Amino acid sequence: MARSFTLSPTLSPSVRKSMSLIYHFAERESKARYKRSLLGWFWSFMNPLTTVVVYGFVFGVVYGADAPLTDNGNAENFGLYLFTGLIVWSVFTGVVNGSMGWLIGVSDLRKKIYFPTETALLGGAVANAVQTLLEAVVLIAIMIVLANISWTVVFLFVALVQVMLFGLGVGFIVSVFNARYRDTQYLIGILLNVSFFLVPIVYTQQLLDDNDVDGIIRVLLDWNPPALFVEIARDAMYFLEVPQWNRLLAATAWGVITFSIGWIYFRDQSMAISEEP
Amino acid sequence: MSAGSIRVHGVSKKFRLERNRPSSIKEAILRIGKKSDADDFWVLRDIDLDIEPGSFFGLIGHNGSGKSTLLRLMAGIHRPTTGTIESEGRLSALLELGSGFHPDLTGRENVYLNGAMLGLSRKHMAASMDQIIEFSGIGEFIDEPVKIYSSGMYVRLGFAVAVNVDPELLLVDEVIAVGDEEFQRRCMSHMNKLRAGGTTIVLVSHNTQLMAELCDTLGWLDHGRLMKVGDPADVIEAYLAHVDKGDNTLTTHD
Repeated sequence: MARSFTLSPTLSPSVRKSMSLIYHFAERESKARYKRSLLGWFWSFMNPLTTVVVYGFVFGVVYGADAPLTDNGNAENFGLYLFTGLIVWSVFTGVVNGSMGWLIGVSDLRKKIYFPTETALLGGAVANAVQTLLEAVVLIAIMIVLANISWTVVFLFVALVQVMLFGLGVGFIVSVFNARYRDTQYLIGILLNVSFFLVPIVYTQQLLDDNDVDGIIRVLLDWNPPALFVEIARDAMYFLEVPQWNRLLAATAWGVITFSIGWIYFRDQSMAISEEP
Repeated sequence: MSAGSIRVHGVSKKFRLERNRPSSIKEAILRIGKKSDADDFWVLRDIDLDIEPGSFFGLIGHNGSGKSTLLRLMAGIHRPTTGTIESEGRLSALLELGSGFHPDLTGRENVYLNGAMLGLSRKHMAASMDQIIEFSGIGEFIDEPVKIYSSGMYVRLGFAVAVNVDPELLLVDEVIAVGDEEFQRRCMSHMNKLRAGGTTIVLVSHNTQLMAELCDTLGWLDHGRLMKVGDPADVIEAYLAHVDKGDNTLTTHD
């Protein structure tokens, strides 16, 4: 079609079509999130803020836990320690849980008209990314106020991209399973709850050292993909250190490989989804 | 291949029967290794069909003969089990009630969504919006969620979108029968206008009289097999002769 080429010489018509569908699904997901709410996006800021305050209170005041030292000693706050981890973790759970819902949400539509189903998942992920960026803005703003900020902030975004790729890869696979067997969403819910404790979000590495956690369990705790993403974000925003290069490499590999496998699997299976009752 | 043609080559389609399908992981695991051929149902077998650009092609056949499935395969909704289907050109399909509409979105949002699925920009759809609203007769309901629409409104909006996106290929499945007399007439005249403009149209209907009037080629499907393709009068005659003959044995079919 000559018309498409003149409008946009660099993108093929099918890519342009997918892009506009992704935009559509992202817009719909974002709108649906705060539909019928007066304050809308305000809640995006309130959620992370209350998280910081509540967790800071519970762990810092009630339990009296010492948060690990930050770079300049200004931001020792368990709420902030936790928040840097939670931002990354919630991308993972949001995208994995979301994928199942996003696919189910378009499956009726897909039975009546052809469109590339992966655009629904990618659109949902875009909406999730926008939400996450808002949370990141809150975190960065707090750290600026506390003067605990450095150029290492770029690694926060590296970690977010890595976890997004990883989450989408997992999401592609579990959403296909869930389209067949709705048990999947419950199983995944439980697995995510369990794996939350495989990631140093509510506990610290120091605590593991103190309690002599080692061997295979320590390797699992240190090197599982969500833990890697969380640690990188934590280095970037809390400790203000450059993450270890081997962890960066491992995290990138987990993200890229998982995404690729999920993508290939989804593309292979997505036609069959229109035949599911 | 030129724009507006569909080539169906050696196509068969198998569906898994609903009652035999495992619906939980437990059931699926218990069934491993027990797969039997009895679970499958062949809806279409060995279909070969060439639809020429600019033609008006009709599909007739009894309920469950595979007409709608063939149309869905042409629309790319399902993938054939064997064989290939190639189509060239922008394809617009109106396959059943509420074709491609999301119940929670408003009529207007659905028009944009449909446009995006057909690869048309928002700007393009915005330009055709008035025409679509006018054609559908939906009026102010365009900004209400489509789930509150009556079945007639659904179909009218669906048809209005399908025909107002400059399709090079238009697939229509019965649905127009849901609209009232006036809307049906508008559909007919619009389909004729599209045909005059070179759009290839594939229509499924039980109304043999209508099909004889509109189509220049007919295909007759019986239990998933293409029995006859050709001049509408001949195909209808063969189809009706078969129906007459099968009248007393009707119970063996269903």
